[in-house]
Amino acid sequence: MIEIKNVSKSYVKGKKSVDSLNLEIKNGEIFGFLGPNGAGKTTTIRMITGILNIDEGDILIDGKSIKEETLEAKKNFGFVPDNPDMFLKLKGIEYLTFMADVYDIPANKRKEKIEELTKKFEIYDELNNQIQSYSHGMRQKIVICGALLSEPKNWILDEPMTGLDPKSSFDLKEMMRNHAQSGKTVFFSTHVLEVAEKLCDRVGIINKGKLVFVGTFDEMKEKFKEEASLEKLFLEITEE
Amino acid sequence: MKKVIELTKIFLKNSFSSMELKMGLSNKSKSRFLIYVILFLYFAGLIIFLGYNLLNGLIAIHQETVFVGMILFMILGVALIQTIFSSINILYFTKDNEYLLPLPLKPYQIILARTNVMLIAEYAMIFLIGLIPLTMYGILTNAGFLYYITMIFSVILIPILPILLISMIVMIIMSFAKLTKNRNRFQLIASLIVLAIIVCISLSTSSMKSDISNEEMAQMIVQANGMVDLVKGYFPTLDFLIDALTTNSLFVAAIEILKTLLLTILGFIVYMLIAQKIYFKGLVGNLFGGGAKKSNKGIKQEEYKNSKLYKSYVGKEFKLLIRNPVFLMQCLLPSILIPIIMVVIIFSGMQSEGASLKDISTMLRQMEMNSFLIICIILGIIQFFTMFIYISITAISRDGENAVFIKYIPVPLYKQYIYKIMPNIIMNMVTILITLAMVQYLLHLPIITLIELFVVATIMGILQSILMLIVDLKRPKLNWDSEYAVAKQNLNLVFPVILSMIDIIIMIILVALLKDINVYVGLTILGVIFAIVTFIANRYLYNNQDKLAEKII
Repeated sequence: MIEIKNVSKSYVKGKKSVDSLNLEIKNGEIFGFLGPNGAGKTTTIRMITGILNIDEGDILIDGKSIKEETLEAKKNFGFVPDNPDMFLKLKGIEYLTFMADVYDIPANKRKEKIEELTKKFEIYDELNNQIQSYSHGMRQKIVICGALLSEPKNWILDEPMTGLDPKSSFDLKEMMRNHAQSGKTVFFSTHVLEVAEKLCDRVGIINKGKLVFVGTFDEMKEKFKEEASLEKLFLEITEE
Repeated sequence: MKKVIELTKIFLKNSFSSMELKMGLSNKSKSRFLIYVILFLYFAGLIIFLGYNLLNGLIAIHQETVFVGMILFMILGVALIQTIFSSINILYFTKDNEYLLPLPLKPYQIILARTNVMLIAEYAMIFLIGLIPLTMYGILTNAGFLYYITMIFSVILIPILPILLISMIVMIIMSFAKLTKNRNRFQLIASLIVLAIIVCISLSTSSMKSDISNEEMAQMIVQANGMVDLVKGYFPTLDFLIDALTTNSLFVAAIEILKTLLLTILGFIVYMLIAQKIYFKGLVGNLFGGGAKKSNKGIKQEEYKNSKLYKSYVGKEFKLLIRNPVFLMQCLLPSILIPIIMVVIIFSGMQSEGASLKDISTMLRQMEMNSFLIICIILGIIQFFTMFIYISITAISRDGENAVFIKYIPVPLYKQYIYKIMPNIIMNMVTILITLAMVQYLLHLPIITLIELFVVATIMGILQSILMLIVDLKRPKLNWDSEYAVAKQNLNLVFPVILSMIDIIIMIILVALLKDINVYVGLTILGVIFAIVTFIANRYLYNNQDKLAEKII
């Protein structure tokens, strides 16, 4: 579970990039975080993951504060950043075993997990090559594998579908669904409204640093008393 | 032409933006500016000092014109070497190439803008090593107005041809698709060739020393002239400009400058014709021609094995350093190469004067070597060698945009900082061991002195590693377009020089204060001082681990 409590962040004095954000992503839920460019999505994700300091408020991951119990909180999530160009000079297998060492995954389990994930994403045969030689989509896949190795309870994914081929995208969505069904949490940002509409249990829409809507797709339709697509509703909400 | 100027501006901004040379009004940028001014004055002073001694020696035997040839030769050499390193990166491996290709730009516009960037970077260097000594020559020889005008033309013109030539060779090589696929190997081989050339030149000129007799000076001039003559064959502009700068006739100077100008224009036309034909071919081949070699080998069982985190992390840092030729050459290898090259040069220099290694060793041992002064000199030399190890000072910047990784994994930042500086500490120890092995071969110091020297030098190495990491954390350069921007065009790299200067000054003060102190007591005092400073620096790193990472976003 991820609890965002009254969180604010400013890069420039007097101008809040994220303003008093309150959000709760429950266990067993896939939550889609939407918003136009520059709305505050990445800033929020960076605060959740500890990359950015929080000016006001707090974020709890499975009850652990990212501000106070940083390491414990970090152990509770797996993060996939939007830029998958990581450690390009390492071989795929070197990157994954390094991640396994970081998350202290026992020797007997890591082999099984690495094989399972990389075979699912069809990159197993590439593991002995440097990540530099991978395509954008393959880099995205290896980073996802790295993040999921430790079987974290909470998945935090920044634009995870970017660069994935249809099969991998389908597999990832299925994995997200299975993860949520096992009582765990998925929090991801996306620009693809269709994905959000079909995959998410709830969505949050952020605009100019403020959360302007949070709820299910049906609740959104009800709120705006309109039988329109998510795309149309999204545009209406963010243009207000 | 407007597009070329715009492109040049953008490329320059991209390359040098994080050098933060903006002269703002804030106190922070003022103090930064002051640091750069002090450093500039330091290097300028050094060049003036060396140049003045050499020039005075030459004036005494009425051979001052040789000086002009040597300086122009040096500019040419620096331009050649710098371009070998920079052209491949600037022309082919900057990240923005991918965005430039689809734009409605003609190849010549991109090439011109890229060449301008190389040239501008070159001029900054030439100002120090060319303009200052040549102005000094003008003053000491009471040259007239004509000389200074010719000097300005010469300094502007001389680096152009070498840059064009090297870039042209690079373009021809890069147009063969097979070579472009292995950039790493190409860069490494090119770097090693350059290094070999530098060592050869250093060895052949290493017989120079400060108190030169007239005969030796004459011999040196023959050597210098021989080298200049050799290069003249390949770069006739060198000959023209030497004549232009050493003549008193306006007519001769004008003709020689004109000849240089014409030859440069001709070179430029050839360069543009070749570039227009083959630049895009190489560029496209490089961008889309596939990456590194692929392996079909399966994964062995031991590759899954788990390691202690420190081992895994430090191993990862070493792999990333070794597998990247720019980082390998600029950050890691200097720790081994610099002490070896320096010592070889010094020894061969001494030997060329007729002394055998055995003689030198015997002579040195007759002097009181186990003294505090000598020990401090050895430590100073080690400091000088280790300031070229750029592992810590680029520890964060090398990761580029991916540096945020350290902030979201569940490992304390302080621990990660220590893992990141470990390669620097280890390579520092390698430098110390190589230097001490050579010192021991020559001086036969007591073993206790050696051990104490090793301990003190290692403490200084740890201090350097911590402080340089703090500098990189406070001024990270994360948005780079090629590795070269981190390992070379990075103003942070002046900080190891500053620290080494401070360390050496501290030792000079201690030697002055404690001249006749027992060597072991002196070394212990030095060790304790540096250990205390290291402890404070380490506490600072620990206490401010989160705050220091604030710029990594």
